[in-house]
Amino acid sequence: MKRASDFRFKHGYLIHQIFVVTLTTLSAIVILTPVVWMINAAMRPIKEVLTYPPQLDPSQLTFEYMASLIENELYRGYFVNSSIIALSTLAIVIVLGLLAAYGFSRFKMAGGRIMLLGIMALLMLPTVTLIVPYFRLAHLAGLYDTRLGLIIVNSAFILPICIWLLKGYMDAIPVDLEEAAMIDGCTRLQALQKILVPLAVPGIVGTGTFAFIFAWNEFLLAVTLTDTPDAQPLTIGLAAFFGQFVRDWNSIMALSTITSIPLMIIFVLFQRWVVQGMTSGAVK
Amino acid sequence: MRDEGTSPAAAPATGQETMVGERTSTGPGRPRRLPWRQMNGYYFVGPAILFFLFVSIFPLLRTIQMSLVDVEAGVPSFVGIRHYANLVQDPWFWNSLSNVLTFTVSSVILHISMGMGLALLLNEEWFNTTLRNFMRGLLILPWVFSTASSGLMWTLLYHPFGLLNYMWVGLLGQEAPIEFLAKPGLAMASVVAVNTWKSYPFYMIIILGGLQAIPAEIYEAAKVDGANAWKRFWHVTLPQLRPILIAISTIDIITTVGHVDLIRMLTRGGPLRSTETVAYYIYKTALLDGNLGYGAAVSTLMLIMLAILIILYLRVLSQGDEAGETSF
Repeated sequence: MKRASDFRFKHGYLIHQIFVVTLTTLSAIVILTPVVWMINAAMRPIKEVLTYPPQLDPSQLTFEYMASLIENELYRGYFVNSSIIALSTLAIVIVLGLLAAYGFSRFKMAGGRIMLLGIMALLMLPTVTLIVPYFRLAHLAGLYDTRLGLIIVNSAFILPICIWLLKGYMDAIPVDLEEAAMIDGCTRLQALQKILVPLAVPGIVGTGTFAFIFAWNEFLLAVTLTDTPDAQPLTIGLAAFFGQFVRDWNSIMALSTITSIPLMIIFVLFQRWVVQGMTSGAVK
Repeated sequence: MRDEGTSPAAAPATGQETMVGERTSTGPGRPRRLPWRQMNGYYFVGPAILFFLFVSIFPLLRTIQMSLVDVEAGVPSFVGIRHYANLVQDPWFWNSLSNVLTFTVSSVILHISMGMGLALLLNEEWFNTTLRNFMRGLLILPWVFSTASSGLMWTLLYHPFGLLNYMWVGLLGQEAPIEFLAKPGLAMASVVAVNTWKSYPFYMIIILGGLQAIPAEIYEAAKVDGANAWKRFWHVTLPQLRPILIAISTIDIITTVGHVDLIRMLTRGGPLRSTETVAYYIYKTALLDGNLGYGAAVSTLMLIMLAILIILYLRVLSQGDEAGETSF
């Protein structure tokens, strides 16, 4: 380009590149240390976790702890609960979120703005302010210590951000396409299903990833509304494990690693759309 | 409630009524006064709004109601503002209030400055976009982990024989390991560090989005005018980012004030209740001590304080321009 012809600029460009890349890489190394440490501890032979100097020899790594956790019925149960809770929450918020986002994006309603502001306010509502009534109401409704109860309340806290993000996506898709489809004989729901949803797929994937991570990691509602491993997700299992045993750091970190693996996979797969969703939300 | 709502103030309730009414009555005269287009919107929005009414709004009102009730010997009785009167005199409540102030102010400053710094780096021109995106992915990673996992990772690092103390004792030759989570004062700083690590990526990404939306021409013009990098940051970048910064610091304040799980995993409010924030105090009184009414009173007070804070904050920072509007 033009810049390459200017030698002095090129020289400055090189220094600039080295500076930017080095600084970012160093930051990334420091920031990822806790993660590397967790995985390392999960795979160290026992007694090698808390030693001076720390052991890093990769030939000694073992999958023993993770394997024994996976074989353990109790922890498999936590894993199943987490999966059911997170996936059901995901399904609820995407369906309700898509419908609501479509309504807000495509219709002029009396009170639409007030409802949107209300949803914005709900988005900011701290979970902790509702744990007292949830605790009581869950007992009254027979939803205490059930996965269904957790799915419902999780959805209530994730739905506002989903509506917000999905509405942003739909606003960016021209109305003409649906109108054309409706003139061609589609009903409104068909237009939503056949035109808008396919176009909004990146937004749905991004929002869905967001919702899944949120639901998978939820802790406070789970600790409020569950009591036994029948309904408890992995996050509670982790906390219980940490509190209950003589600190067996190998197994704790192995469980923590197992808990994080699905998240890391999902994140690597869908990172692009999550980032896209978050950044486009910011610009608005 | 049955007037078909043209005044926006009564609208959410009206919309609800209309929708429910519509579903049940399937007679010939269905769309009455509202035009067809308006009616249809409620069908789509309705399920979510109904869901919110039952699962968010109703419990929210119950919080307020429960704060006025006390259960003694299994019998609930109305006690009026007694919980609130006790609250004002409760030294542990004031303790938690001052703790949450320290926790929130330092966390928000660190989140945004760290997010800003890294976003600026990622927003620079990179010789290789794939490398840049890879780095971006690595830098977002902490955000993906659960608070429970993050708490455990850091408890291991903070351990007297953990990595940080290995550096302190083993490499720097100090005598005693630092007790990161066991010393009042230091414990709060350690919790803030974990919170910073865990949450900065979210703000980094949003700031990055904001940076990418700033038109390049403004920078070109500033360069032509002879502004150096620092001046361009101060006079172009910051003012352009202002609406976003207002929005994310508000969101950050609310999120940080609400943290219970992080404190539960790291310190359980200790040592000497020095990391016990208002949110943790609610969790502790209501769920661990079983004092639901009192917990509800603290919750209500927290809601009121947050609402005032947000309104004041938006007012102050968006004075004189439309920035407040954008932040919604």
